[in-house]
Amino acid sequence: MKFPTYYSLASLIKAGKKKAKNKQVISFDLFDTLLIRRIHDPDIVKLPVARYISDLAAQQGISKGWQNIQQLRDAIEQRHRQETAKNFVDQEACYPHFMQELLEIIFQSKFNESLLQQVTDYELAMESTMLVPRQALVEWMKELAQTGKRIFVISDIYLPSSHLQRLLQQAGLNGFIEQVISSADTFFAKASGKAYPMIAEKFAISCQSWLHVGDNPVADGLRAAETGIDTLIIHDPREDQRKALVKRYYHYSEIKPLLRGRALQQLMAPLEGENRAVSELYVEGYNFLGPLIGIFLQQIRILCQEKKISKIFFLSREGWMFKQYWDKTVATLYPTGDLPETEYLYVSRMALAGASCAHQGLTKTNAYIALTPRGNRDFRDICRIFSLDAEKLLPHLVAHGLTTDTCLSPAHEGYRAEYRENFDALLLDQAFQDEVKRQTKGSNEAMQRYFTEAGLFAHENIAIVDIGWLGTIQRFLFEAIAHRPDCPNCFGMLFGAIRAIPYPEGRKNTIRGIMFDSQRFDLAGSTLYYAQDIFEEACRAPHPTLNGYRLTEEGYALEFRRADDASGLAEQEQDRYFAPLQQGILDSAEKFAAAAALLNFSFDDWKPWINFLFLSKLAFPHAREVANIRYRHHLDDFQGNKKPVAGAGKAFIPLWNQSPTQLKFNPLLRIRYFINHIRQRINE
Amino acid sequence: MSKILKKNYDLQGLEISRLAKITLVGKILPLGNLAGGPGARFIIILGFLHYFGYPIYWLLARFGHRVKILRQINARLRP
Repeated sequence: MKFPTYYSLASLIKAGKKKAKNKQVISFDLFDTLLIRRIHDPDIVKLPVARYISDLAAQQGISKGWQNIQQLRDAIEQRHRQETAKNFVDQEACYPHFMQELLEIIFQSKFNESLLQQVTDYELAMESTMLVPRQALVEWMKELAQTGKRIFVISDIYLPSSHLQRLLQQAGLNGFIEQVISSADTFFAKASGKAYPMIAEKFAISCQSWLHVGDNPVADGLRAAETGIDTLIIHDPREDQRKALVKRYYHYSEIKPLLRGRALQQLMAPLEGENRAVSELYVEGYNFLGPLIGIFLQQIRILCQEKKISKIFFLSREGWMFKQYWDKTVATLYPTGDLPETEYLYVSRMALAGASCAHQGLTKTNAYIALTPRGNRDFRDICRIFSLDAEKLLPHLVAHGLTTDTCLSPAHEGYRAEYRENFDALLLDQAFQDEVKRQTKGSNEAMQRYFTEAGLFAHENIAIVDIGWLGTIQRFLFEAIAHRPDCPNCFGMLFGAIRAIPYPEGRKNTIRGIMFDSQRFDLAGSTLYYAQDIFEEACRAPHPTLNGYRLTEEGYALEFRRADDASGLAEQEQDRYFAPLQQGILDSAEKFAAAAALLNFSFDDWKPWINFLFLSKLAFPHAREVANIRYRHHLDDFQGNKKPVAGAGKAFIPLWNQSPTQLKFNPLLRIRYFINHIRQRINE
Repeated sequence: MSKILKKNYDLQGLEISRLAKITLVGKILPLGNLAGGPGARFIIILGFLHYFGYPIYWLLARFGHRVKILRQINARLRP
């Protein structure tokens, strides 16, 4: 029996269009024909389902490992197939039947129908994330439907027709199909050829007017041809190549830890119609920043479990991206729930700096932090940062031989050591501190009202998630609420912790860098130093920064920075420039969740790949990547606009600030910078 | 404009050649923890499949049934 085989979709569709003219009914095989799977082996999709059942069992107090559950599922399915074979030619199984039996065995008296529904929903959701419609075939199918042809989808699988319809619905294909037929409903399969006459009879189809398209030379080719149905078989070498690669990435990742992250990204990659031409910034968001954020948030969830943290506060403005990414991934990654609450908290260094003085006054450390940026010079800069009225504090300054313009920073002209000594004495002056507390009391009260409404004081342990780098926001935040008896234990989790200023950790206030922490020697991770601002800009929310909290009659008001001045407009321009990058990050979230759920690796497993991403993209970037990802504008309100003396700690031009010509044509530039970077890290 | 997944199924901006290049740099300079790298054998296989996979699988799809004997020999030679 002969039937034509085609080696590309284009040639198959061309031949199909000719043949379809004389046909009334066109049927398609579903898996590997109309839909392709991201993963080479469909059985791998069952593994996250086994883990889900294991987690559900653990919630009911039943201890059962997911590997055991998977083995049990396979055994039950096998037995069901053997039972079917006693009455039918095909050895088919039906998912609801064997899954119910599996759940009954595991959950015993605790089993109920909703449990089966939950597991089915998750399995179909996982299947759905791994399935991609073949664009060219789908377009042809739509054309056929529009010309009045009857379209059927036929599959030999354990999922009944109702489940397949859900998969097709999620793929956006159900509108064109008259009927979806599964061997799980009737136990008549294409493999034996029994399905074809049954379908012809049930739907009153003449075999001469029927064209079937599939990938299996026996089930879709030979058996259909034997029944008198015209058939087209696709054997796409591109699909063979893709699956061969996915298979190898998957298997090699078990042996080579570095390839685990690569396997993750290979599974995350868009296929067929999803893989459209996009801007280079979008690609960077999808392929570089998206997976990093996903891994960062995965680790935060693990830490929340360890520390019994019941609420995560994503701090503005970078937390905006983290929260959105979190919301997009949790359903697939953690189907059993049991997750901490989340909240996007409006804070900023500037808003919290003032509020932090209401109870403790202006501390020496905090005042020195304000003088650290090279653009800050004098007491006016301190007043700007801590929202203080310099005029009302002037008598106290004068009493200590200072004025508001006395230079307090060694980076500026006019600095003298005795000014610092006078300033230290001022900070010990109780009258000065009382005035500072009086001035900042209102903003602290407003801040507390806002935090109370956000539920910050309703939890014993909270996570404070931010991009980094010094932990200044958490420092000010904790200092602003430390006086309260219901002050929660604050676990700071930063994307990267630089710790240039020692952080005052205590029992109730800790901080750690997840992707990089300068407390640990991590050479590859430390390449964050190369271009940490790009992470800030990539994650930053498209709203102005918070200037402060203000008391109102109703309670409090959040005061945002104006957006219509030069800095505000520059920031908006930056927002527009990075919009495709942010879209790429967000679009990668669901794919990341599906791939990570499938691979089930932990943060330690991903770490070598994180290191590779940092190294290749930050320390050894292509000139084009630097040109693309380098931000256009970066607003830092903390930084003043005073000019430091020339030559004071200057002269070093970071790699990312090098000219495109240098980056493109200087072959040893990156190596030189990296050697310098190693030297700096060793000397730290 | 570019695609996230290239025609040869390599990742845009994270090509297998870039992985090989960084691994090579790692032989000269200490780069940090790459957990032993990707392994030369795996890089060669994956690189071969990315860059030459399509013609190989095209040939196999068209004439694979005729080289069945070679596959049997290969299977026997495998440890």
